[in-house]
Amino acid sequence: MVGIKRLFKEIRVAWAIGEKDIRIYYAKPPSLMFGILFPFSMFLTFVIGRNIPIDRAIPVLVAQTLFFASSSIGPITIPLERRTRTFDRFLSAPVSLSTVLLGKTIAGFIYGVGVSIIPILIGVAFFQSNVTDLFALIAGMILSALGFAAMGIMFASLPGQGPGQVMMPLNFVRIPLLFISGVFVPVKDLPAWGQVLSMFSPLTHSIELVRGGLGGENFFGSLVNIGVLSFYLVVFLLVGIRFHIRNQRKE
Amino acid sequence: MDSAIKAVNLTKYYGRLLAVDHMNFEVKKGEIFGFLGPNGAGKTTTVRMLTGISKPTEGTAEVMGYDIQRQSVEAKELMGIVPDISNVYTDLSAWGNLIFTGRLYDIRRVERERRAKELLELFGLYNRRHEMVQGFSRGMKRRLCIAMALMNKSSILFLDEPTSGLDVQSVLTIRNLVRKLNHEGLTIFLTTHNMDEANQMCDRVAIIKRGKMAAIDTPERLKRTIRKLQFLEVSFVGATRGLTTNLKTIQGVTEVAKHGDKYRLYTEDPPTVLSAIWEYVSVNDLKILSVNTLGPSLEDVFVKLTGINPEVGHEEGLKT
Repeated sequence: MVGIKRLFKEIRVAWAIGEKDIRIYYAKPPSLMFGILFPFSMFLTFVIGRNIPIDRAIPVLVAQTLFFASSSIGPITIPLERRTRTFDRFLSAPVSLSTVLLGKTIAGFIYGVGVSIIPILIGVAFFQSNVTDLFALIAGMILSALGFAAMGIMFASLPGQGPGQVMMPLNFVRIPLLFISGVFVPVKDLPAWGQVLSMFSPLTHSIELVRGGLGGENFFGSLVNIGVLSFYLVVFLLVGIRFHIRNQRKE
Repeated sequence: MDSAIKAVNLTKYYGRLLAVDHMNFEVKKGEIFGFLGPNGAGKTTTVRMLTGISKPTEGTAEVMGYDIQRQSVEAKELMGIVPDISNVYTDLSAWGNLIFTGRLYDIRRVERERRAKELLELFGLYNRRHEMVQGFSRGMKRRLCIAMALMNKSSILFLDEPTSGLDVQSVLTIRNLVRKLNHEGLTIFLTTHNMDEANQMCDRVAIIKRGKMAAIDTPERLKRTIRKLQFLEVSFVGATRGLTTNLKTIQGVTEVAKHGDKYRLYTEDPPTVLSAIWEYVSVNDLKILSVNTLGPSLEDVFVKLTGINPEVGHEEGLKT
């Protein structure tokens, strides 16, 4: 009974932290730049001048915004809060560090879902996109947003007191992933080694699920996509928590 | 259980640097306890360990009877923390800051709104509760920061340099509030560089030096430990150059220092030196404008125990 009460308390506190981050950081310039401007410009670079069918373009845009928006919030909020020492408030509050990081993950999750839902609505309203597999679409969005938000939290454990110091190494990982995840070239058109490589990228499975949800073809299959994304979600969460605990020991 | 804090062999290493070295002390419930030391002595590190922000390398600490490592949630529920900088959310209003703090401590909605209103009124911020904190003065941010530390009805309040860099009005307001809170039963752990503040406010003080406890006692008892720092402060009419050297020749005077138009004659025997001064004045055709017998200040005790050399501006021990 005490355990359940404690669990509910931790969830309420995590939600309070997430909600506070939403109010404070969503409209901050780094969030707008890395979470919205960046994926949309990458997308425009990809589609302008190429005759790419809309059923291929929309899933890429959705997955890309999920990827960039969700993974940007943690690396913006945590270094900023370290700099202003407001992060100390969490460390001295009667909650576990995991709860704090869960709150931060919630903020990234909602940002990613909120931003990526816009291209879906545009696709459905103006470009005859159809949601053919609602389960795949929802699963893809939820797992991707959670996983990428957790990935951002993991990177935010890197030492540094400014978002730039975390964003740079994060982008060293995010941008190369675009080339092996079926963004520019569909997975089925990649060479065999490229297909194997793409299997290990979480972004591949995010694109595949969203594409499957919007009526496109899925190379690896929904179950594999869900399995891989779930695996990455757990890994990013656990590694992120571990890194942040290690940081606290160094404090 | 009379202890609000009990630190046993509290130690912290940063890599190979020993920041806090097997610190042992106890803070009693209901007292204002001053924690003094030069920069880099380990004050903030100690506070960060006591508040659970940082983990000790060795040793333990109990806050209100709870082990800060093993029962950290229970201990943290009973403490409020005001760090050396006002870590408030500048993008939220004063009301938003207090409400968020209440949510962080999982205080029920009705209770947290009642408490926020009460604290904003107490700290004189209620009329500006809906304004963004980024427009607040430093003093207002400091008051808000203290109010946030009290949201959870803490039993112990950690204050790190609460009045540093504030104007006189804000300093007096904060000191009065701290006294009032202490009078209501709150234990205060006050870290400060301001000796006058520590002397005025603290029931007991601890002075630390290079991560170790140098002394711990009431301010008055600490002052009594250095009898030779008693001095006569004399102002002369017709003082000439070389007077400092001449005054040193008076029997019983251990040291002479010029402070503005006054001369401080350090001695362990003020009455004898006072008689000798009257004699010196009449022989040398001088007049005394004023004379005061003074004991050592807490600052003198601090300087002696920490080994600070005012002429070079840092610890003697760090010179080598």
